Amino acid sequence: MRPRLLALVLFCAAAPALGEAYQAPEALVAEVFGSLPSARVLWLSREMQAQASAILNHPPANLRQRYWSDGARSVWILEELGKEELITAGFVISQGRIEHVRVLAYRESRGQEVRDPSFLKQFAGASLDKGDHLDRGIDGISGATLSVHAMERMARLALYFDHRSRD
Amino acid sequence: MKKPALALALSALATATYAQSTDDKLRILQQEIDELKAQVQKTAPGSVAPAGSATTISGYGEFNYNNYKSDTRPAQADLRRFVFGLHHRFDDRLTFHSEVEFEHAVVSKDDQGEVELEQAWVNYRFSDAVNVKGGLFLIPLGILNETHEPPTYYGVERNEVETRIIPTTWRELGLGMHGLVGGGFRYDVGITTGFDSGKLDDPSVGIRSAHQEGQLANAHDLSAYGALNYRSRGLLVGGGVFAGNTGQNGASNALLKGVDARLTLWDVHAQYKVGRLELQAVYADGKLGDADQLNASILATSAEPFAAPSRMKGAYVQAAYHIYKSDKLDFAPFVRLEGIDIRQQEDPANGLFQDPANHERITTAGFNFWVHPQVVLKADVQRYRTDPTKDRFDLGLGYMF
Repeated sequence: MRPRLLALVLFCAAAPALGEAYQAPEALVAEVFGSLPSARVLWLSREMQAQASAILNHPPANLRQRYWSDGARSVWILEELGKEELITAGFVISQGRIEHVRVLAYRESRGQEVRDPSFLKQFAGASLDKGDHLDRGIDGISGATLSVHAMERMARLALYFDHRSRD
Repeated sequence: MKKPALALALSALATATYAQSTDDKLRILQQEIDELKAQVQKTAPGSVAPAGSATTISGYGEFNYNNYKSDTRPAQADLRRFVFGLHHRFDDRLTFHSEVEFEHAVVSKDDQGEVELEQAWVNYRFSDAVNVKGGLFLIPLGILNETHEPPTYYGVERNEVETRIIPTTWRELGLGMHGLVGGGFRYDVGITTGFDSGKLDDPSVGIRSAHQEGQLANAHDLSAYGALNYRSRGLLVGGGVFAGNTGQNGASNALLKGVDARLTLWDVHAQYKVGRLELQAVYADGKLGDADQLNASILATSAEPFAAPSRMKGAYVQAAYHIYKSDKLDFAPFVRLEGIDIRQQEDPANGLFQDPANHERITTAGFNFWVHPQVVLKADVQRYRTDPTKDRFDLGLGYMF
């Protein structure tokens, strides 16, 4: 009985998981806009590449950034390295401020606490200060330092991209 | 004539603007193509760890300087540790993690440096709630043992409680299960190799000198561990326990054949960050059984016999305040108060006594100055109440990536 019970527990625990992906980007976009609008593309000029590099501390992965917008709000799906793996997160921006953040995929073996709503809630309302820094400090999570830093960098980049997409 | 000329001029301007925009896009596309080409070349057979590959590299290290107040101890500068990690993702669920550590810069039979595997384990992820792992991995006791990169802790030297009572960096060979369950609770359970009391040679560090570190570890007696931690924004509260016999059926000392020498080591810890203030506390407590038999085995085999440690406990409280914090720069003074109490099983008839230095109080005050979130400069002074020859001034430089 015990091996069967263990197998059942493992199956039940594993069944709801989608690997390490919690939500598809398109699902987040549809959730935000009520439907799936056509994706737009932000072309990164040399100046934008330089600023994105300054925010990320490395060159941006893409020179054309896909995003979704209805004119008032925009959604940016970004990826950034935590300690060993890429974190995928979606940022909803409205009027130059972060409306909400969601971690769409987390691939590290530890540090999933960055998905905690109480952590992500800190980003709500954040905007860019001078130097394209967040206008507030973000409290970290013990043992997930590099993932927290990655989330902060992505938040800054999403706000910067949103600003530049409206130029 | 003026109107057609104006129209022509506007048309030319529009064309030029369009052309500039198109040129920009073409240039960006060309740049992207060039970078893709470079990436394809990097991923050619024989290349190592291209960007975005399934294999990643991490690392951390520190350079320390200790200047003792007492003339009996020389000032020293040391490349304390240089660690690099290799990590590989086999597929969406199966991953490998490792860290290799070099200590004290030079490794040879005439030097004090060491090369050691700090971690090497395979993880299979059923879900966030259920991960299973096997190999050489860190034991989840205390705060420092699992999170020990220099930019993540205060002070040039690691705190003494999580060095002498919890033997950081403490790893064992074994199988474990871990995961994140509802509301920020992380559990860890597992069965691993344990300590070997036949290898005890330094009671000042509690059970530490009996660690096996995955090196042909005697495994007659296995140990079990469990830990539960709650993490949320700025808050960590948790504890863990590790228990198992350490006699190893006399594999290292025949007099311990049939002796349990059971070790139970546990801790509770908390960390709270609110605004610019950071508070942290750890209490660790351990018991080692059959101390009389351990004394007998030490007397029979050791050139310099000592009383076996039978009870070891310690605690610290620490406070730090981020006086200045910007995007990259962060300056935070801190103070830490520690107490260590390692009780030894005295045997006066055979000349085995408690070493008074194993009851110590340490005060550390200094600062961490992050010049980048992952690079830190440190300075502090340390005062030892029982053994003032250890009083010192420390400087350090640490990094992680």
